[in-house]
Amino acid sequence: MRLSSARRAMGLAALLPVVLASGTAAATPDAPARIEVTGEMIDTWCYFSGVMGGPEAVVGSAHHTCALWCAAGGIPVGLLADDGTVYMVLKLEGADPLAAPDTLLTVASDRLTADGLHYLRDGVNYLVVERVVANEGIVNLTHETFGPIPGFAIPEPAQ
Amino acid sequence: MSPALRAALAMLALAGPVAAQDFSVGSEAASWGLAGERPARFEAEVVDVLCLLSGDCPTDCAAGARQLGLLRAVDGVLVLPMKNGQPVFSGAVDDLAPFCGQTVEVDGLLVGEAAATPAPFYQVQRIRPQGAADFIPADGFTTAWATRNPEAAAEGGDWFRLDPGVRGRIAAEGYLGLGLETDAAFIADWF
Repeated sequence: MRLSSARRAMGLAALLPVVLASGTAAATPDAPARIEVTGEMIDTWCYFSGVMGGPEAVVGSAHHTCALWCAAGGIPVGLLADDGTVYMVLKLEGADPLAAPDTLLTVASDRLTADGLHYLRDGVNYLVVERVVANEGIVNLTHETFGPIPGFAIPEPAQ
Repeated sequence: MSPALRAALAMLALAGPVAAQDFSVGSEAASWGLAGERPARFEAEVVDVLCLLSGDCPTDCAAGARQLGLLRAVDGVLVLPMKNGQPVFSGAVDDLAPFCGQTVEVDGLLVGEAAATPAPFYQVQRIRPQGAADFIPADGFTTAWATRNPEAAAEGGDWFRLDPGVRGRIAAEGYLGLGLETDAAFIADWF
């Protein structure tokens, strides 16, 4: 991809302190860290926007159907780690997320342990999942507390 | 001094004021009543997020197969658009993909409470290509979905009820994802 003037300028801006301090101008691309992280695959839009209520209601089984809808709709899928960090998943075991949405649908709401590369950019955590180490399935049984979120996720049976 | 270096020095000088910049000027974004929402209109380059971070750069941002970002022109911040302007569980990739590598002006909502969000995410409601007189609405998902799923779309109705992938998962594991037996028991009790 061709770098725009703004990106070239930002790259230079980032390097300036190094240049001024050391006199060297070696480029340093974003360096990822390999991590293994355990958590739940979530729908990030509903989690952060509050569009359907608090974050505790838009995870787990209560929100599973909506998580399927949002993943199929191309909304970023995230891995909500046990420490509360949300990693935006950019690849899952080699697959680009929107090239193979069914791959994402099969793990929606599941508790996974993932091994991959972690990138941090402008406060947002991104994760390239190279390998799913373990999948416990859906263990967050939020439907017992909240019912389906949103309420129309499960169609009312015909009388 | 090269133009790029002059621009870099100007950015350094502006770093303080930019950090607190109000992006609402000129915005016509509609409120959605979201957590921490504030209108935001800005110029940005449409980028393949993974390409930007890792250097893995297929042509044309992988033709809509990856999440796209908005590299904001004024401060170089990578803003992640999660949502387009349609109230139908739809992301923004179909709307932004035609502008991969281009600078556009976007209008929409920055979203997320500061205490609960690592950085503001974005809902793009309209896009103005560089040089265009008018904005176009960011409502392209349903048309793109219908093109990808002509047989399902022909049934008529909400895309999310018709999507073959979603239908397949619900048929296999139920609406709760816990299996058909658990689903049936819950539905019998809930309704």
